[in-house]
Amino acid sequence: MDSIEVNSYALEMSHISKSFGRVQALDDVSLKITQGSIHGLIGQNGAGKSTLMKILSGFYPDGSFDGTITLAGKEVQLRSPRDAQNFGIAIVPQEITVAGTLTVAENILLSELVTKSIKFFSKRKSESKVQTFLDSNHIPLDSSQLADSLTLPQKQILMIASALYAQPKVLVLDEPTSSLTADEIETLFAMVRSLKDRGFTTVFITHKLSEIVDLCDEVSILRDGRVAYECKRQDFDTDILVENMIGRSLGDLYPMKNELDPNAEILLRVKDLIVENPRQPGEKILDEFSFELRAGEILGLGGLLGSGRTEILKALYRDNKILSGEVELSGDKSFGRSTPKVLQAGICYITEDRKAEGLFFNLPIRPNLTAKILNSCKKWIFLDRKAEKTLANESSQALDVKPSDVETFIGNLSGGNQQKVLIGKGLLTKPTILMLDEPTKGVDIASKAEIYQIVHSLAEQGVGIILVSSEFPELLELSHRVLVFSGGKLQGEMIGKIENEHDLMLMSIGGK
Amino acid sequence: MKFSINTSPLMKRVIFVLIIFGIFTALKPEFATYASILSIVQGIVFVGISSTFLTLLIASGEFDISIGAVTALSAIVGGMLATHLHVNMFLCFCASILVGVVVGLINALVVLYGNVPSFIATIAMLFIARSLADFISQSEPILNFPQPWHGFKDSFIGNYFSIFIFAILVILAEILLNHTNFGKVAASIGSNKEAARIAGVNVNRVKTILFVLTGAGAALSGYVADIYFSSSRTSLGSGWELLAIAGLVIGGNSLFGGRGTVLGLVLGILLMQIVATGMVISNINQWWQTVITGVVVLISLGVDKKRKKVFVHG
Ligand SMILES: Nc1ncnc2c1ncn2[C@@H]1O[C@H](COP(=O)(O)OP(=O)(O)OP(=O)(O)O)[C@@H](O)[C@H]1O
Ligand SMILES: [Mg+2]
Repeated sequence: MDSIEVNSYALEMSHISKSFGRVQALDDVSLKITQGSIHGLIGQNGAGKSTLMKILSGFYPDGSFDGTITLAGKEVQLRSPRDAQNFGIAIVPQEITVAGTLTVAENILLSELVTKSIKFFSKRKSESKVQTFLDSNHIPLDSSQLADSLTLPQKQILMIASALYAQPKVLVLDEPTSSLTADEIETLFAMVRSLKDRGFTTVFITHKLSEIVDLCDEVSILRDGRVAYECKRQDFDTDILVENMIGRSLGDLYPMKNELDPNAEILLRVKDLIVENPRQPGEKILDEFSFELRAGEILGLGGLLGSGRTEILKALYRDNKILSGEVELSGDKSFGRSTPKVLQAGICYITEDRKAEGLFFNLPIRPNLTAKILNSCKKWIFLDRKAEKTLANESSQALDVKPSDVETFIGNLSGGNQQKVLIGKGLLTKPTILMLDEPTKGVDIASKAEIYQIVHSLAEQGVGIILVSSEFPELLELSHRVLVFSGGKLQGEMIGKIENEHDLMLMSIGGK
Repeated sequence: MKFSINTSPLMKRVIFVLIIFGIFTALKPEFATYASILSIVQGIVFVGISSTFLTLLIASGEFDISIGAVTALSAIVGGMLATHLHVNMFLCFCASILVGVVVGLINALVVLYGNVPSFIATIAMLFIARSLADFISQSEPILNFPQPWHGFKDSFIGNYFSIFIFAILVILAEILLNHTNFGKVAASIGSNKEAARIAGVNVNRVKTILFVLTGAGAALSGYVADIYFSSSRTSLGSGWELLAIAGLVIGGNSLFGGRGTVLGLVLGILLMQIVATGMVISNINQWWQTVITGVVVLISLGVDKKRKKVFVHG
């Protein structure tokens, strides 16, 4: 055997196969990852990326799959996440997983606390130790804060920090950027690059090709559980990557924007609204602001982490307190004072946090999709199972959810497919105003195009849409107008066109 | 009385307990005598020992409903060995504790490897342990404990022995839960099992240890009761599971796991005991006693209210 060849790989996974019942998630996958590189792993929703990485991190233990794992030239058996850690592998899983009742410091130290012997734990000492680590890595977290009180992006950052703290030889990041905004993504990339400079290896999963081009040295594409394509940085070509990912060429990602009728009815009028900061009851999160939403309009809300956009949507949905100001729905000021009433009035909110507040993970796809419309499939006082199933099937097909069997449990779907179910659930309510919070989070590029098409045609049918997205191109390409929030206030407004990306970035940071 | 923002939740509870104590003392001054206080404390010792480690188990996200029954079974086993087989006190101790360890192991096995929710598995264990106790003792109280037991009980140490054991246990458990790596790991499991697994926690191992500790703690309570009463009855410990749960919640524990306070548990059961004793001493009508207990429990929950709402969106 050529030993130089072997040693140049930090990691080899050979002939890996794994199935869940009838689903063949991975089918003879072989992956080689160069020592000290940043290796991109891409592929459509359900292609098997997360499954492959769960095998690598000991989550699916040795014996539950076929194939071998070789680390720095030596074959290893990973029987538990602990084993993987001991071999220097750290993973940041796709779904947000933090221990909410523990502090940031305790979360980060957790893997260090797992020892056979019992040792004293000093809250103060550990917090100052972790704070030093955070500060020296420019990670903007407070080590004494409870993880439950963090925002979603902060939780994502916490997970990354926990993985980095162990100084892993191989760091696996499963779609870390799907809950981050532009400036945190930059920070993350800087950290990953500095790992690389120190000779460490990173596996990076994403659905955003621009990130691959930006960051990675090599890339592997999975399709339907097989390796479809591999190449090095010098051969990166987005069109070829996309084609290999989806098995065909994509066409236009974004639909043509329709002209907005200037005389269209004003659906929603928000006047001098002051919204509460849910983490500081009684305090406002933003200065007062006003805006209008017309029928058929797609209104984007832009900004960075913590700019309060999610809180605004939640306030309109009455799941976050409105301290003062007025909200008028088609001229009616008293349309709803509680979430169920607002929903009845035709306003639907699709959350950014599908795990914590979006889906019932312990239920199948069907009841998740129909959760909000059970009233419309009633026979007398009983549930009309057939009607329910038909509705669920239609919705699942429209969004191309895989697997297509609506009795599959949500927890067994890939992340992107869960996201599609979340959107389907909202669409089934046939809203007149649809509020989308990071709607394409974790969704692959082909499905993104489909979701964009759906949003576009809803707008054409006269639905008013408020879109929050941290992906600036998406925000600008879809929206007619974009309101930019930063520095605790509404900074300004711009036309939704891709040429404004730079301005949007500046205005988003500008208020800081 | 106004609580400052900085008063810790535990401190607020201490103050609340003192207020309630003060109210009863105002009604009946003899409530505050040494003898009365001692009897109140003595009144919580056995349920307290039995449920101390339950706090840790609940912090890790599991339940044990069988504690009271295990206390009874351990007391009966100890009693039978002492009276019928004349086994010495130390071996009785070992046998009693062994009962708890075995029960804990079975609970862990059924819950963790049989995938039965701990709530249900330990209800089953409650029935099994209690009928075993009945069966072994033929439902007869065991009264004729031999000499060393009586002698120990009547000595000065014997008088305060149970309180001493309880205090030690509480301190140990509180340190274990909130000031060691083991406690943090246990809480992390209750908080988010997946996160704990990713961090490399062997979830089943930690939970097994906690089930066994809980069983052993409940069994210890039975042994200490044998010494204190020099007798054992199968009815010992009935209803303690509810008392313990109420005490835990009043004391600021979360039944969903993720955190815990043993000191809170002590305050919780102490509060209930003060109310119960206080009402008897103040001659409050029997019918009202239960109602008032309920009301005090509710008010005490409001002392440190943190509402959490979960909505499902999308
Ligand atoms: N625990 C499970 N039980 C059953 N099927 C599963 C389970 N986990 C994953 N699958 C299936 O295995 C396939 C691969 O899933 P995986 O999560 O690896 O996809 P992915 O490439 O990470 O997708 P995404 O981009 O959406 O995250 C999917 O068809 C999924 O439904
Ligand atoms: Mg995935």
